[in-house]
Amino acid sequence: MLQPNHDQPALGHYALAALACTVTALIATPLRPYLDLVNIVMLFLLTVFLVSLRLGKQPAVLAAFLSVALFDFFFVPPRLTFAVADAQYLVTFIVMLAVALVTGQLTAGLRRQAEISTQEARRNIALYEMAKSLSGAMTLAHVIECSQDFLRDVIGVKSDLLLPGEQGELVSAGKHGVWYEAHVALMAYAEDRRTQRHPLTELDGVRYYTLHGSTRTRGVLVVSPLDGDIDALDADHALLEAVASLIAIALERLHYVEVAQAAQIDMASERLRSSILSALSHDLRTPLTILYGQADALALTKPPLPEKQQQAADAIREQSMRLCSLVENLLDMARLHAGQVKLRKEWQPLEEVVGAAIKLLERSLAGHMIKTALPPDLPLLEFDAVLIERVLCNLLENAIKYSPEPGTIEIKAKQVDTKVEVAVCDNGTGIPEARREKLFDMFVRGSAESPLPGVGLGLAICRAIVEAHGGEIRADDRPEGGSCFVFTLPVGNPPVIEAEAELPEVRV
Amino acid sequence: MNSAMARIIVIEDESQIRKFVCDALHEAGWQTFEAGTAAQGVVEAGTRKPDLIILDLGLPDRDGVEVVRDVRAWSGLPILILSARSAENDKIAALDAGADDYLTKPFGVGELLARVRALLRRNLRTPEADGAVVSFGSIVLDRAHRTVSRNGEALHFTPIEYRLLCTLVASAGKVLTHRQLLREVWGPSYVESNHYLRIFIGHLRQKLEADPAQPQHILTETGVGYRFQL
Repeated sequence: MLQPNHDQPALGHYALAALACTVTALIATPLRPYLDLVNIVMLFLLTVFLVSLRLGKQPAVLAAFLSVALFDFFFVPPRLTFAVADAQYLVTFIVMLAVALVTGQLTAGLRRQAEISTQEARRNIALYEMAKSLSGAMTLAHVIECSQDFLRDVIGVKSDLLLPGEQGELVSAGKHGVWYEAHVALMAYAEDRRTQRHPLTELDGVRYYTLHGSTRTRGVLVVSPLDGDIDALDADHALLEAVASLIAIALERLHYVEVAQAAQIDMASERLRSSILSALSHDLRTPLTILYGQADALALTKPPLPEKQQQAADAIREQSMRLCSLVENLLDMARLHAGQVKLRKEWQPLEEVVGAAIKLLERSLAGHMIKTALPPDLPLLEFDAVLIERVLCNLLENAIKYSPEPGTIEIKAKQVDTKVEVAVCDNGTGIPEARREKLFDMFVRGSAESPLPGVGLGLAICRAIVEAHGGEIRADDRPEGGSCFVFTLPVGNPPVIEAEAELPEVRV
Repeated sequence: MNSAMARIIVIEDESQIRKFVCDALHEAGWQTFEAGTAAQGVVEAGTRKPDLIILDLGLPDRDGVEVVRDVRAWSGLPILILSARSAENDKIAALDAGADDYLTKPFGVGELLARVRALLRRNLRTPEADGAVVSFGSIVLDRAHRTVSRNGEALHFTPIEYRLLCTLVASAGKVLTHRQLLREVWGPSYVESNHYLRIFIGHLRQKLEADPAQPQHILTETGVGYRFQL
């Protein structure tokens, strides 16, 4: 502890005080013929003043009494006795004693104030320095080191930081542990900033300071005095609170540094993923475009190729188209999985996207009857048209693949509570119940050894898209044979469009 | 309608794609000029007096949309865009900048030739030559008398529906983006109100199409806009 104890000055101080008075008496003795007694009193008073200035309060009291005694003994007639001839000297003694005591006390008080101010100044400088190094601390270890050093050197306490662990328990983070009670620490951790007035003081000799961050509690500071003087510790309560809040700010800052770094890493990996995806999709699509285009050109050559070569050209064209859609599916899945797909949701009628999907698959649907049953009062739905078109196309392609020509494929929709159910139904082979849920996983197909082409990505893509829209997708069996794939879209609050008067001129 | 000797510039950085596109166009009897970069393409477009430009959006030296803008600054000649699927934003930007149509890679030769033919034909036609009366399917639109009828029976339209129909018909065969239609029919302050457009297109389909869920004339270009087909 830097602060010396003023209440119990060393014995040496008393000895020095006594010595000073004796020396004064010795110096004054030869001067006796030349000086009035009044002036000798002055010399003693000066001595008391100096003693109080240098040695403190109690030695000054001693000096005051001793001075009066020495004055009486050596200077007041009759000399060398304590007897007093003239009674008026009693007044001199009393005044001398009173003046000596009061000046002594005042001077000592002033000195003490000055000492305390110096102490305070030194502690404040130390506090500033700690605040500075805390604000520059980049690691938890650095924060702990700064705070522990300050608390040990300036306040004279050993300390520890308790930080929340993964399961909400408090974990000691410091190197030199302080013996603390876990349940009190947890209570301190749960303290509300607004209600907390005093540090928790369950176990004697240990104090708990909650580290209040601006957004949440960051931990608990545990302190225990090195010399066991808990009262001195409580006297430093305000300082300790300041230290606790500095530590809390430092911990909070470290937390946000971590968050920012994690976000930066996320962004970098996101960028990398997206550039890999776009490079990959470009590198895969270009040769496929060439392959498909050339095969198509070959198949359309004039004059027509001989039959065998024509068949080969057609086969190349068909297979390259299939390869294209496979690659598209893989890229879509990769993009959906990488979180690269941003929904461009807009309010629109379902009818439009159904029409677009049918139009896209016009050629593949040629061998099937397609029926649509969309109620005219269906509300507008908010969805990403491109993605929902993809869902419908995948479901239609499945229906085509798994139902014999000339089959009938139906697209139906109806509102059920706060959702709209869209169903794509076929009269094909249906799906065994055990496989229905699994169907929507990646690389899972209706039957394991199917002669039909495909790798089982289409439905996984459908599920990813529908779920991104806040809907669900399932496969139902139809009692009349075949299966229905049903997905839902939430209804939400469609915008209202004012009705418009009819054009008068057009009326005939 | 003579598009037999049309001159077509193909701006595409992948030489193999450029080759089969040019071969196919040659085969169909058109004259082609090739460019591997945007810079070269713009020079060719300025010097060859082309009738049509086929432009890949993914060029190495410049954004394809900028090329469209450059060409549009001095010419209204038809521009056909080639782009990858799942690049709707690029297509929309190119169409808004003035491109006429797009083809999604991979595409077949048949599709390519059909689009090129349609664009060349469109370019030969002038609005005046169209005349006031247009018929498609069982519908007859008389723009002089502002009437629409199906099999001789009058159909009733609101002013916006009628304006939308006329806009679509005037650009038959061409893709119109949501933004272009909204600006044309509702005005510039409505360009973000896509749902208006969708609802009114729905109304038109209800009145004009035999099966609104499987339209034959007002076709949806999903995520991009609409195309009217006569």
